[in-house]
Amino acid sequence: MSENTKQNDIILEAKNLYFSYDGEKTYSLDGLSLKIKRGRKVAFMGANGSGKSTFFLCCNGIYKPSKGTLYFDGEPVDYSRKGLLKLRGKVGIIFQDPDNQLFSASVYQEISFGILNLGVSKEEAKREVEKVIEYLEITPFRHKPTHALSGGQKKQVSIADILVMHPDIIILDEPAAALDPKHTTMVNQIVDQLTEEGITVMMATHDVNYALSWADDVFLFKDGKVLLEGDAVSVFENIDALKETNLEQPAVMQLFHSLCRKKILDENLPVPRNLDILEEYIENIKN
Amino acid sequence: MIAIDKLCYYSNLRYVNAGEKFAYAVLTVLFCVASRSIPMAVLVLIVNGILTVYKGGIPFSRYMHFMIMPLVFLLLSTLAILINISKTPLDAFAIAVGKWYITSSWQALSQGFQLILTALASVSCLYFLSFNTPITDILTVLKKMRCPALIIELMLLIYRFIFVLLDISSAISISQDARLGNKDLKTAYQSFGKLISILFIRAMKKSNSLYDAMESRCYDGHIHVLSEDFPPKKKNIVLIILFEIILLAITIGGYLL
Repeated sequence: MSENTKQNDIILEAKNLYFSYDGEKTYSLDGLSLKIKRGRKVAFMGANGSGKSTFFLCCNGIYKPSKGTLYFDGEPVDYSRKGLLKLRGKVGIIFQDPDNQLFSASVYQEISFGILNLGVSKEEAKREVEKVIEYLEITPFRHKPTHALSGGQKKQVSIADILVMHPDIIILDEPAAALDPKHTTMVNQIVDQLTEEGITVMMATHDVNYALSWADDVFLFKDGKVLLEGDAVSVFENIDALKETNLEQPAVMQLFHSLCRKKILDENLPVPRNLDILEEYIENIKN
Repeated sequence: MIAIDKLCYYSNLRYVNAGEKFAYAVLTVLFCVASRSIPMAVLVLIVNGILTVYKGGIPFSRYMHFMIMPLVFLLLSTLAILINISKTPLDAFAIAVGKWYITSSWQALSQGFQLILTALASVSCLYFLSFNTPITDILTVLKKMRCPALIIELMLLIYRFIFVLLDISSAISISQDARLGNKDLKTAYQSFGKLISILFIRAMKKSNSLYDAMESRCYDGHIHVLSEDFPPKKKNIVLIILFEIILLAITIGGYLL
């Protein structure tokens, strides 16, 4: 597969998905349709209860939509036991609250659970577990029980749980929730490393600044469907859509537009996606 | 419970092969119960004390604190064996209370003392195991001993859930305190009732979420996990065998005499 084909290849597609938690009185997914391209960094944003987490659980086959079709790698998802196991081996989900994910008393056992379920040999599983422990710098607390870990360490372990399975897609449901800035940075660095390796990363986040600097594509969810989608800059330029989803424009964009209005910066400059680029623009004025 | 859990993760004997520790503890308990010998109980108490405090590095005060708890319970529960209320005074001592005596015989005292020491020595064996071996290692040993997978998986999940629920109950309790939820006995009872009911609901929700998370990692009804093995050491095995042979000799000697 050429690099170009790979970039435009659709790895996951939702067609008119419906899902209800209350016997179809209300819908958490209400005719959701979207396409995710392979190897992209995709941010999912929207108010609480807009259907992001429900969609993620559908992607992993935990929930089966009542109507509509989900395609993985061009094939409709097979909800037989065998089909689900295959899907779950390819689509890994890291839950918002690690305490809902970590079931084992030991870090080592916890990380080995997923890969052993894929049917690999114990020797290979051991090698992979050791590799991911080293890669995510879990060694200092690998012998601690999971209940004695800090929030950031629990998050590291929950990422390792999925990473060890080598999925094609990694879904992170608000990975920075309840983390301090240090651990948020650490999680973001891990996510950056994943995307550099070409894994498709889907992330739910409320952090517009991070989404602007990180994401290739952004989906704004409202009432169980996509309100707006596109590249990060175009989505965050749409103030009305942001308001509808309880979001604000990223600070760097607000500042850039303000400086453009005041004729300090040239409005033909590309919209900066982070503070470093904006700083560069301002430095260029001085020169 | 939590104190024991913390201690075992910091014990110097934590990385000793769990099978060795398990075999030592279980065999020693069996000999203690089978022989009911006072010298053996004293020997086991001393050896377990040395292993746990000196070798394991568990603070002596902590160890004594944990040993006193069963001792108090044993003393109270053996009072019925040690003391008689009778119209006839027995040989050990007799305190007259009107026409009755609070009394005891040497045989009853010896029997009570034997019972207390045997039980205490057995408890010290279990303390040795739990102070020096994390629960995951014990479960690994049970798995190797062909204990049914269902029981082991339940134990693993229960153990994990104890801590999850303790965290939740602590958070709710603090939140109740912060809003004067325990200002008097009546509100304290009400708060406690609410705490229990919400804890039950949260436990259900947590278990559903945990099940989803396990399913998302291809859970097939059996929990397959790797365990970290610490290889057994010949020296330890030889020492355990020698010690158990001594205990066997005391047991057989006791039956023959």
